[in-house]
Amino acid sequence: MARAALQPKKRIGEGPVPGANMVPAATVIAAIFVSALPIVVQDGWFPDLGFLMLVAWRLRRSDVWPAWWAAPLGLLNDAVTGLPLGLSVTVWTFAMLVLDFADRRTIWRDYWIEWVLAALLIVMDLAAQWQVAAWTGAKLAFITAVPNILISAASFPLLAWLIASIDRWRFSRR
Amino acid sequence: MAAPSGPRPGWSRRAQYGLFFSFIAAIIGLAIGLILLAFSIAAPERFHSLRGAALDATAPVSDALHEVTATVSGVASGAGNYWDAARQNGNLKRENAALRQQITEARAIMLDNRELRQTLHLREETPKTVAVGRIVSSSFESPRRFAILSAGSNDGVQEGMPVRSAKGLIGRVLDVGAFASRILLVSDRSSTVPARLLVSGQAVLCQGRGDGTVEVRPLEVGRNPFHPGDAIVTSGVGGLYPPLVPLARVIRLSNDGAIAIPIADLGATTVGIVEQPYEPEASAAAPVTSTQEATQ
Repeated sequence: MARAALQPKKRIGEGPVPGANMVPAATVIAAIFVSALPIVVQDGWFPDLGFLMLVAWRLRRSDVWPAWWAAPLGLLNDAVTGLPLGLSVTVWTFAMLVLDFADRRTIWRDYWIEWVLAALLIVMDLAAQWQVAAWTGAKLAFITAVPNILISAASFPLLAWLIASIDRWRFSRR
Repeated sequence: MAAPSGPRPGWSRRAQYGLFFSFIAAIIGLAIGLILLAFSIAAPERFHSLRGAALDATAPVSDALHEVTATVSGVASGAGNYWDAARQNGNLKRENAALRQQITEARAIMLDNRELRQTLHLREETPKTVAVGRIVSSSFESPRRFAILSAGSNDGVQEGMPVRSAKGLIGRVLDVGAFASRILLVSDRSSTVPARLLVSGQAVLCQGRGDGTVEVRPLEVGRNPFHPGDAIVTSGVGGLYPPLVPLARVIRLSNDGAIAIPIADLGATTVGIVEQPYEPEASAAAPVTSTQEATQ
């Protein structure tokens, strides 16, 4: 039968991980809660893991989540990490829209372009954090945000690799 | 590699509409985010209840895992203490003898001081401890310097209360949850503590630099009064922080002041003591700012 040939050859119990559609958002939430870990330091140089994770997922796939999911995820990030409420909501949603735009405009994309895109978004994120901190009474020289930008941009490939592994795992036939 | 086909779902009208509404929803999310951000910059006290709830949600995680990290770091530093133990022992014995002598002198001075105060009828201000909690987390992903203390409104903690450790001043309470609170550390840029040099008593202002150090500047224009190694204590001006709490130690001089590191090292501090504002009426009436300090 011609129609039978079109049916996927799926055996019982084989297929993606249950809830595979929720896995990306779940990993972002897990990354947000990293900031609740009991790490007590005097200096804040650690990358904004939630944002890196969000960008890495979105760069890998355009259909991981509807763009507006970034808003509630950003709200959670604001509440957990203690940023001014609304900062991550704005920046994360804006990043999703920017990447939608980038998808339309780029025809060929290799790894370097993805890294540059991620680095630009990281600069935007940390510059926004720096600017809002300045508005709320903590004005520092912009040079103080540079180490964090470099560390975040340098750690992006690691995150991208992790995301790729998780992505393969969630769609693997088992 | 070709770019992902992106938000182009093909010919399905349903998928196209879904995408369009998702785009509209994202724009709405962006607008809501901007409004929230405007509120949190203009009127941050509006969201205190939400912030408190989030603190309560994450504090148990930090608190439970804190035991693990404390044990691990304790084992590591404990092992280090065995290295070169004989020489350390000798040094400590010498220091101990010197300190004993100094303590006796200090006790005599305290006695003298108390008698003098009594003759002057000076009111004795003893800072009242409100709550004691552990420092379980810090904002290691952010340019701002916050820490999480495992004591909240259930223990009587309120916004604005000063927090210190056994060694020195840590900061003041910013957000309060039911059993956790967020502390603005003295090393945050927006934290300004009126202080003075311990040796000369000269009034200085201590502002955080956001990287674990603080900047100290003299209030009077003139010669740079700092020397590396100088101790800086709170002055009690402004009414929030109690006087004579150790604050920072100068490490190097700058143009018009000096750079200092807080004496209460957060990495080694586990217990934070929340105290009543030193003079609540004064601190409520006049928030501590540099201009008001300069005119006092």
